[in-house]
Amino acid sequence: MSGTGEKGSATTKTPGDFLKAIRGRPVVVKLNSGVDYRATTKTPGDFLKAIRGRPVVVKLNSGVDYRGILACLDGYMNIAMEQTEEYVNGQLKNKYGDAFIRGNNVLYISTSKRTLADGA
Amino acid sequence: MANNPSQLLPSELIDRCIGSKIWVIMKGDKELVGTLRGFDVYVNMVLEDVTEYEITAEGRRITKLDQILLNGNNIAILVPGGSPDPE
Repeated sequence: MSGTGEKGSATTKTPGDFLKAIRGRPVVVKLNSGVDYRATTKTPGDFLKAIRGRPVVVKLNSGVDYRGILACLDGYMNIAMEQTEEYVNGQLKNKYGDAFIRGNNVLYISTSKRTLADGA
Repeated sequence: MANNPSQLLPSELIDRCIGSKIWVIMKGDKELVGTLRGFDVYVNMVLEDVTEYEITAEGRRITKLDQILLNGNNIAILVPGGSPDPE
């Protein structure tokens, strides 16, 4: 029933089926830029639940990084952060107590292992 | 209109390709050949036994993949039956 890895020509698999089937499995995600990401899968929803209150790095399309504690976020990737530090080209440029980032600017949200102020 | 057999919607054509080889030409210098397992309204596709060709200045770079979900956003052309190229 799972269909995963089945080769029978009768089995059709929509993108929705595929997404259900790959949960928890190792995957490669390839971007248009050619960059590969290799990891085990979690749904975006699982990820968003898991990272609330954790230190994160948010990279914008412009290339600017924001490091801070994720206060909250929504399905548009709108983000509220605390203890925010703004990095341009890896250099600390600004600090904000609270910051709101509109989701359309967000390239990715990453959990950060590094402590704050450890920076760049 | 739709039940006239001489008229075939693009989505019906793709639907007929499910289970068989298909050649996907992307915007930019990338092509994929694989077995089509399914697709959705955005023509995101699930492909199996995929060969990915990246056309670079040094020649074609080939990547083999078992199973992929291909974002439909960058698909330009679909050719049923796979690539005419051997490998």
